[in-house]
Amino acid sequence: MLDFSLVNVLGACLIITSMTVVLARTGAGAAKLYALQSAVLVSLLAVLGTVTGSTELYMWSVSAFITKVVLVPCILLFVLKKITATAPGVAVDLPPKLAPMKCVALVAVEVFACFVVVSGIDLPTAAAVKPTLAVAFAHFFIGLTCIVIQRSVVKQIFGYCLMENGSHVTLALLAPQAPELVEIGIATDAIFAVVILSVMVLTLARKAHTLDADDLCELKG
Amino acid sequence: MDMSQLLVALLACPLITACVSAVLPSKSVPRAAFVFVHMVMVVCVCAGGLLLAGSVFAGADVFALDEWLHVDRLSAVFVALIAVIGACTGVYSIPYVAHDVADGKLEAGQVKQYYVFFSLFVFSMLVATTSNNIIMMWVSIELTTLSTVFLVGVYRTKLALEAAWKYVIVCTAGVAFGLFSTLLVYANAADVMADAHQAVFWTAILPYAGQMDHVLMMIAFVFAAIGFGTKAGLFPMHTWLPDAHSEAPSPVSGLLSGVLLKCAILVIIRFYILVAASVGYGFVQTIMLILGVLSVVFSAFAVYKQHDLKRKLAYHSCENVGIIAVCLGFGGPIGVAAALIHCVAHGLVKSLMFCLSGNVLMKYGTRDLTKVQGIMQAAPFTGVLMVVGFLALAGFPPFAMFVSEMAMVLSGIQAQLIPVVIVVIAALVVVVAAIMNVISGSVLGCAPEGTPRKDVSPLALLPEVVLVAFIVWFGVAMPGPLCGSIGDATGVVLQQDMSEFADNGLFDEFNAVFAGGTEGVER
Repeated sequence: MLDFSLVNVLGACLIITSMTVVLARTGAGAAKLYALQSAVLVSLLAVLGTVTGSTELYMWSVSAFITKVVLVPCILLFVLKKITATAPGVAVDLPPKLAPMKCVALVAVEVFACFVVVSGIDLPTAAAVKPTLAVAFAHFFIGLTCIVIQRSVVKQIFGYCLMENGSHVTLALLAPQAPELVEIGIATDAIFAVVILSVMVLTLARKAHTLDADDLCELKG
Repeated sequence: MDMSQLLVALLACPLITACVSAVLPSKSVPRAAFVFVHMVMVVCVCAGGLLLAGSVFAGADVFALDEWLHVDRLSAVFVALIAVIGACTGVYSIPYVAHDVADGKLEAGQVKQYYVFFSLFVFSMLVATTSNNIIMMWVSIELTTLSTVFLVGVYRTKLALEAAWKYVIVCTAGVAFGLFSTLLVYANAADVMADAHQAVFWTAILPYAGQMDHVLMMIAFVFAAIGFGTKAGLFPMHTWLPDAHSEAPSPVSGLLSGVLLKCAILVIIRFYILVAASVGYGFVQTIMLILGVLSVVFSAFAVYKQHDLKRKLAYHSCENVGIIAVCLGFGGPIGVAAALIHCVAHGLVKSLMFCLSGNVLMKYGTRDLTKVQGIMQAAPFTGVLMVVGFLALAGFPPFAMFVSEMAMVLSGIQAQLIPVVIVVIAALVVVVAAIMNVISGSVLGCAPEGTPRKDVSPLALLPEVVLVAFIVWFGVAMPGPLCGSIGDATGVVLQQDMSEFADNGLFDEFNAVFAGGTEGVER
């Protein structure tokens, strides 16, 4: 039961859950869906740890659970609550610039392109998990898509989080024996980035009275 | 003196001063206390950085903290750059912040914020240049974004916050590409190296580069070029740069443009070396050439049409980072040496120009070049320095950027890429025209009626005079030790012995190209 095929199934779940994060209508909904997506990632790390016999991956799954399933969604939910309390007139849940179907089509193209690129990689550790590796690559571009298509700057933060999750899966797939320090360094940095992005969002809401990326276009030329 | 300890102390100093400034209460402690702590950092980083760089140029590489930190002849050039430009912009910060406080633009809390994050910024750049651990290299580049975002948005106006948001989101997303690239290299190295723990060290990976998966390494370089290229301001990932540079306080703009962009270039060069050792120079040179030419051509026209002084200078930074990429794209000893000289020369010139734009802001209260006229008349010393700075920026002799731009042309000829050289030169002509417009329209002519004839404070002019002295010195007679160190650093990039570059041998190489020699060109 616990073999590479399960890893690949969880990889497919990652794509689906990340799509739900991108398409979520509200910031709070996106935060909860991101927690779900991270839970899938944690499961993937744990299964991969069992399959490869890497004890490091068990530790990663624990730290990923703390940082991605608990901390990041909590920080973002806290920020949303703060915005409502301190800048009540500021709209948070803005519709994306791209229609949902177009967004799904774009992601499909990205996933296909990543499968093509990954087929050219000839690395022994990646041989059994090529579909998931393609998913990890695609995940990264889904995150980028999220940043580009969202009008709400809060939702743009989720784009960065998805990109970071894509990197995390790639590392786990290609280097399951990597020292924990590498993983901790990346996770800590991601938390710092989310905190600072959140502080910026709060400052924008309070001082600039907008969270709409389209309103932040005065600097041109 | 133990250079390993000096390296650790050099990194610790700005971190400690940032912490000290952070714990000082902004309301009850006078501004002078923050200035004192800031000056301690500036002096220590300048002295320590130059001492460390000099020691590396004269002797062997320095390692510290179990090989996590490493200063070789390549990174020593950048450490020296941080030391000099950090000191000049650090000193310039004092009168500039004082002026903004007097003008009511900054309050006590913002002054504290400025000095805390200035120190953190210097710390993060030092970590980026001295890191041997590729993961830490990425973390430090990310840290440069996180530490500078509060400097860019320090004025807390809507425009400043807009610039800060664009800066942080574009760079964080961009540098995530850098993370992906770093992880691909690490995973690839861990696969071929016996000890996976060693696969995080750049110096340990390099000997194994040839055994790594070529497709993965090529993907890694594309991601590195996009990711760290975003931070460097390469087209089309440059969108944050004009906004952040124009809205940040002028000394911060100087440090961003003069050094931060070069730190990102250094990380790209580290990946350039690794990937070239794996798949050869052709691939990495082609990627750099494409990004470089696009950056130069796009930015040249953007420079021309801008009427905002700081945005004009910011686009000029894109153009010059493009020139560095073009030099790396041409490759060969002269191309790489040209890239490194341009890093130094442009760093000095651009930090000077941003400081001078600060003088203009203090004097006229605007960056709009249609309103800024007669600088020479209103502030003669600033005017003279500005003419010198703009001519240096245009790449005119006898200034430092003439040397690097000339070397770029020679390397292009040597690489037999004449059409590319012609395109780049044409773009540079557009830039020269833009610069002449500013000199004739804003620096010369009559100052607006009622403008008092009084220059900025001597403390503001002092670092600018020092920078001009360096620019002229490096242009007229590049000092032997610098020339030798550029040669050594070129050797690190090309993984060749470049001892013949010592004692101004670099110029003998230029003469060989003039004489028609193209042997030994590696493409």
